[in-house]
Amino acid sequence: MAHTSNYILGVYDDEDVLLKAIKNVREGGVKIHEVYSPFPVHGIDDVLGYKRSRLTIVAFLFGLLGTSLALTMQFGMMTIDWPMIIGGKDYAPVPSFIPVTFELTVLLASFGMVGTFMIISNLKPWGKAKLFDKRITDDKHIMAIDLGNNQLEESAIDKLLKDSGASEVNKKTL
Amino acid sequence: MKETKKYWKGLEQLKNSAEFQEKANKEFPEYLPIADGEEPSRRDFLKLMGFGIAAVSLAACETPVKKAIPYVKKPVAVDPTLPNYYASTYVSGSDYCSVLVKTREGRPIKLEGNKLSTISGGGTTPQVEASVLSLYDQERLQNPSIDGKKATWDEIDAAVAKELAAVSGKVAIVSNSIASPSTQASIDALVAKYGATHVSYDQTSFSGMLSAYETAFGSRMMPHHDFSKAKTIVSFGADFLGSWPNRTANNKQFASTRKLSKSKQDMSRLYAFESNLSLTGSNADYRTPIKPSQEGLYVANLYNALAKKLGAATVSVAKVEDDAVLMKAANDLLKSKGASIVASGSNDTNVQLMVIAINGLLGVYGNTIDASKAVNLRKGDDAAFASFVKGLNSGAVSGVIFYNCNPVYDHALGADIATGLGKAKFTLSTSDRNDETTALVKYVAPDNHFLESWNDFEPVTGYFSLSQPAIKNIFDTRQAQQSFLTWSGDNTSYYDYVRANWETNVFSKANTIEYFNFDAFWDKCLHDGVFEAPAEAVAAEYAVDAAAVAGAIAKTYSASKSGLELVLYVNNSVAEGTQANNPWLQEMPDPITKATWDNYLTVSPKQAAEWGIELGDMSTQTVTFTANGKSAEIPVLAQPGQAYNTVGLAVGYGRTKAGKVANEVGVNAYQFASLVNGAVSFTATSGVSAEPTGNGFKIAQTQTHETYMGRETVVQETILSKYQKDSQAGRSFPKIATSEGMKKPYAISLWKGHEYPNHHWGMMIDLNSCTGCGSCTIACQTENNIPVVGKEEVLNRREMHWIRIDRYYSSDAEEGDLAAMEKAAENPEVTFQPMMCQQCNNAPCETVCPVAATTHSSEGLNQMTYNRCIGTRYCANNCPYKVRRFNWFKYHDNKQFDKNTAMNNDLGKMVLNPDVTVRARGVMEKCTFCVQRIQAGKLEAKRDGRRPVDGEVTSACASSCPSEALVFGDMKDPNSRISQMLQIKQNEKSVEAREPRAYHVLEELRVMPNVWYLTKVRNKDVESKTEKAEA
Amino acid sequence: MIAESAIREPLVTGGKTVHDVTVDISGRVEQKPTKTWMLAMAVSLATLAVGGYAVMRLVWDGIGMWGLNKTVGWAWDITNFVWWVGIGHAGTLISAILLLFRQRWRMSINRAAEAMTIFAVICAAMFPVLHMGRPWLGFYWALPLPNTFGSLWVNFNSPLLWDVFAISTYFSVSLVFWYIGLIPDFATIRDRATNKISAAVYGALSFGWDGAAKTWSRYETVALILAGLATPLVLSVHTIVSFDFATSVIPGWHTTIFPPYFVAGAIFSGFAMVLTLLIITRRVYKLEDYITLQHIELMNIVIIITGSIVGIAYITEFFIAWYSGVEAEQYAFINRATGPYWWAYWSMMTCNVISPQLFWSKKIRTNIAATFVISIIVNIGMWFERFVIIVTSLHRDFLPSSWAMFYPKWADVGVYIFTFGLFFTLFFAFAKFFPVINMAEVKSIVKATGEKKQA
Repeated sequence: MAHTSNYILGVYDDEDVLLKAIKNVREGGVKIHEVYSPFPVHGIDDVLGYKRSRLTIVAFLFGLLGTSLALTMQFGMMTIDWPMIIGGKDYAPVPSFIPVTFELTVLLASFGMVGTFMIISNLKPWGKAKLFDKRITDDKHIMAIDLGNNQLEESAIDKLLKDSGASEVNKKTL
Repeated sequence: MKETKKYWKGLEQLKNSAEFQEKANKEFPEYLPIADGEEPSRRDFLKLMGFGIAAVSLAACETPVKKAIPYVKKPVAVDPTLPNYYASTYVSGSDYCSVLVKTREGRPIKLEGNKLSTISGGGTTPQVEASVLSLYDQERLQNPSIDGKKATWDEIDAAVAKELAAVSGKVAIVSNSIASPSTQASIDALVAKYGATHVSYDQTSFSGMLSAYETAFGSRMMPHHDFSKAKTIVSFGADFLGSWPNRTANNKQFASTRKLSKSKQDMSRLYAFESNLSLTGSNADYRTPIKPSQEGLYVANLYNALAKKLGAATVSVAKVEDDAVLMKAANDLLKSKGASIVASGSNDTNVQLMVIAINGLLGVYGNTIDASKAVNLRKGDDAAFASFVKGLNSGAVSGVIFYNCNPVYDHALGADIATGLGKAKFTLSTSDRNDETTALVKYVAPDNHFLESWNDFEPVTGYFSLSQPAIKNIFDTRQAQQSFLTWSGDNTSYYDYVRANWETNVFSKANTIEYFNFDAFWDKCLHDGVFEAPAEAVAAEYAVDAAAVAGAIAKTYSASKSGLELVLYVNNSVAEGTQANNPWLQEMPDPITKATWDNYLTVSPKQAAEWGIELGDMSTQTVTFTANGKSAEIPVLAQPGQAYNTVGLAVGYGRTKAGKVANEVGVNAYQFASLVNGAVSFTATSGVSAEPTGNGFKIAQTQTHETYMGRETVVQETILSKYQKDSQAGRSFPKIATSEGMKKPYAISLWKGHEYPNHHWGMMIDLNSCTGCGSCTIACQTENNIPVVGKEEVLNRREMHWIRIDRYYSSDAEEGDLAAMEKAAENPEVTFQPMMCQQCNNAPCETVCPVAATTHSSEGLNQMTYNRCIGTRYCANNCPYKVRRFNWFKYHDNKQFDKNTAMNNDLGKMVLNPDVTVRARGVMEKCTFCVQRIQAGKLEAKRDGRRPVDGEVTSACASSCPSEALVFGDMKDPNSRISQMLQIKQNEKSVEAREPRAYHVLEELRVMPNVWYLTKVRNKDVESKTEKAEA
Repeated sequence: MIAESAIREPLVTGGKTVHDVTVDISGRVEQKPTKTWMLAMAVSLATLAVGGYAVMRLVWDGIGMWGLNKTVGWAWDITNFVWWVGIGHAGTLISAILLLFRQRWRMSINRAAEAMTIFAVICAAMFPVLHMGRPWLGFYWALPLPNTFGSLWVNFNSPLLWDVFAISTYFSVSLVFWYIGLIPDFATIRDRATNKISAAVYGALSFGWDGAAKTWSRYETVALILAGLATPLVLSVHTIVSFDFATSVIPGWHTTIFPPYFVAGAIFSGFAMVLTLLIITRRVYKLEDYITLQHIELMNIVIIITGSIVGIAYITEFFIAWYSGVEAEQYAFINRATGPYWWAYWSMMTCNVISPQLFWSKKIRTNIAATFVISIIVNIGMWFERFVIIVTSLHRDFLPSSWAMFYPKWADVGVYIFTFGLFFTLFFAFAKFFPVINMAEVKSIVKATGEKKQA
């Protein structure tokens, strides 16, 4: 890594304490770098002030793509490119096209969305995680604060964290 | 690639082309029509020439491939991919049929009926269709032999001449009936030279009838019957549709009296009194099961009934109880006096005399029965034959020549002959295989197959036909007649012999103004295959002492119903067993029982139950059967309509030396036949017993369900009187409930439909004229390279036939009683329904194929693309008619299916139709309406820049059908036969048949087939249902 | 977040802490394989081998190795196909639908259920390929690719083709859904890893997961939408499978009730299979505190409901057959109940309609042994259901002349066994190397709904 920065890590055992702590710390005028948890903590994005994800729209668009792809394929193959008399049906047997159209819509929607999610969250096979503390995948919640973009004194932040109920406060340079 | 190599390898033989040319010339020696080259006759001749050349390629399939030699000069008229047709004649045992031979690159691959012949009527029988495969039977004798050691013809000739001289005066020439004048002459030559005697017999003896006519008319013969003129037919066990000579013609004539249309509102009525349910009986309007021991009385009683009415002297015989039907028959006979036929299958001279008396009373001679014309296919003299056998054993006969016959197997006295042969000094056989008889003789001089032979025939007095080779000898065989001539010291070729014979005997009958010389006449006959110059029918004088005959009958027959009796019969698949080694025939379902690969005792269900036979789905049990002092373990088949206390058994099975296909299939029934006062009797009325063994047995049937469960959308039938009132009688009109009320199925659709701009092929099947003979099944098998799968696979319900004949029995059950409706009536009415791909315009099979391997053509054909098929079998499941067949295994080039000889040995493969793919494992197949024939017809027409004319294109099944029940054609052509008969109306996107009898099977499904059926109309006074109600 | 009412039964018992969850679940993955597991795996592999021979003979010799014939073109093959697909419904359904309904009790069972789904679908997919006459061509000719001889394409009218799309979509989406859920747990194992290999392997599998709040919030959105998409997908799959029959003309197949009835049947059999497997897993892995009686009872209730729906469907079919006035249709159903295959029909009725009704009694529905037995009976019944629909409808359809019986041959059984071998091999591998319970999700409910630890 090119540039390193120093972090103060507040370690929390309980998600409710964590949520309160985040409020306090932010009110204390401290910018939180990120909070790491072993499981999704409900309501955490509100207190951290994160906006709702737009993945929904992505899914919808990919779904749309699937639908049009399916219809183009079916009409293209059965009606335009190589029409044949099959069971006395028309060359464009629309009812027959419904199932495949539906399936392709779902397929593209899911894959498109999951793909996007992977990319924006930088998840990939053999991807290396940037970990402050291994315990966050076990039972600890970690609040990381980047000293670099905080004016407050290190000791002040330290105190703030302790007061907000952190079981321990560590330093880490990454 | 491999194939092409094989094709050529025979040319190896032509090391010396000069010698070969000589060979070719030998085949048609020094005769060249003087006529100019434009004469069709000349072309014919040149075709023959071409043959010899192409044909030699077959002559040695086993020689290794060294090099391939192309035609340097292409034989005239042999164009690769184009078939040639040659008129010829099928003959086997005493069986006859005038045919056209279809050849491709010099290989005969298909026989078609010769439409010019009135004797065989243009149709074929299963045996005729199958015989082309017998030509390529590997197990035919491939060279002459002495004491089982390979010999040359010269050695044979030398030895035979010496031997014959030694036994001169004590030689017998044994054969089946000989309908060929020239053959007879060649035999007579031998007879004359060595003071020999010629004895002939028939596998199914008509001796009784022959001697009856000898007594009554003074000439020993079977008279020519014309069923087309008969309004009332009464058959006493006479199976004229299933096993009589010329049954193709009989079927045609009988069917012609059953056809109905706006212009023809009347039909004949057929009564049958018989023990086994025969093909004839199953087509009867009134059928009465009787025991053979009663037959004489029934005939005599009929005589009395008629005599009373006609004021002739009645005879004194016991009265038969429940003679209602018999009396009914009597009345009908009187109504249609002179236009009737009474016939009996009995071989008892007295019964036959009584029949003559009846026919005489009714004055049919000169009308429906012409005693001035003999049927030369049945001339066997059992008495003479018996004395020959005696002579053989006593030493009075010390030399025997068996001409294409196998009495050790197929004669009641077979065992005695076998022992007698040991004593004979000189024994010779001309059979085509090392059969039961041939195996016991010293000299074997194998005859050509009929497709390799020149010959002539006179099946019926005044009707001639020719036989010409369609291929050069495949093996080192020689035509038997040629041998006879050689041995009698005459070294003219048999071809010359026949020709000379015609010049002197036949040409005289011809209208000489028509032909300016004999060559022209000969060429014409060769081209047509037949020459018919019948004399006018005359009412011959006859004399029968009815009283005396009745006396004899009264002695031998009784009305009693007790005691088990046996009736041997000839089925329409393996028939007399001459072609038993033909897998197509072995796997052909018996028209009545639908069983394959076996013979069995047909027993009335009631009796089977009494014997405690456990019957399951194709599973049954065997009995130890004893008759005529012989015993065998035979499986039992419960046969509705079988007379109680009688059992039937088919001959033709139980071969031991026929070949790998036929050996050990079933039991030999001939051993149960016996000589009763000088005639071979196929019935045994005493000394018959059956002991259940409890051993299980499986009979491979292609149809196991007996009835049609009262489903009117499948089979629609009525009776004549109702039809005459309302031509739509018996039709069912399914309706579909919609929001706008009930609608015709065809009035509802999601789709716009498609139009068929050019052709729209269709087929019409008249349930009334289909006699169920099954020729179509084998014709289709030959035409379309359909594999034989063997008994095991038939038991697995996997037979491959593209066209089957569904056989339904009527049931006595109440409508709605489903369990009971599954059981056939005790003496059921029978309906035959040919069923093949219906070529639906809205085909359910097409819709479901994931890879579009089956689609619809612009000519209304439901096409199957083998090389696209991935074998999901969804189409077969979704086919309401269950006509699709799946290749469960690899049936070709697979040792496990070596009984499928047409696809598993080099020689057998010669029979395959090169226009039709041999299907791979794992693909679906089905009837194509013979698309290859359609294409050929269209190309022919296109080359001449015209549209195909009706009749030019027809399917194999339709062309084989002797009763013309199947009609194939283009529904777009308003003048085609099918359009006319169905009164087709072409709507923009659909066709409509206005013929009131025409219906679609399963109309309610709206799959809109291109196959139409005409309702079955029985000539009964009241429908059987109401009959039951009254009773 | 949802407020939990006080009286609500705890979903995780035994006073587990978040750390306990990690230890309990990851522990299974980390410790050496047990004797019992080794044995189970060996048996599965043996079964796989035996079945493999049958498959080999089938492909080598031809479909004739099965007992099918000219009249009955499908029997065990498609029966097994539909049966496995049906089983493959529970997993995704549990995860998806129960997630949408915020049913938290799903959390400790959905991982195993989804795994089962995926393996079942793999087994199901074997049959459409193996039942082909020419699988070596069929497996790719059934895809919309131009035919070698020009652009001849597939036939979109064919329900079989719809199946191709439905099954493959369902499989891949389920797989993704399952894997997304696995990522955080893999991360847990990764961070506990003591040896290099598992560190590397699980490191690779965990895709570099770092549990950041941002990622978690996206993660939840994705899970929710996937659930939203998977739900109609689950329903569509068996609907389309039922089209194979519903769109045909064969009496007994040609029935509009099939889609809902097949879906209900699928859930029915799926839940039964989940129960069978979970009851074993929870016993072997001592997970009684995570998979509690309450879970089992709730699933049993689902079984009562779906079982009853199926039962009603059976009766409706008969009514419609009578009401339609179609001769062949009426016969088809009378024949089912009274014809040569009556025994199949009545086994189906007993197993599917009668046995689940026992669950009305709380005693039985909360009895592990009883549940286990019934769950197996239900799946036997569901196999017979498909057999009855396919074989008894085909063997006597329109033309009595073609009516025939179907007798299975050894290869029919062999190929079925093969899929069992495949299924259990995969499942045991999963149970050993994957976290059988979704740790992250369970952790999120430990505090809210776990029993408080006695101090």
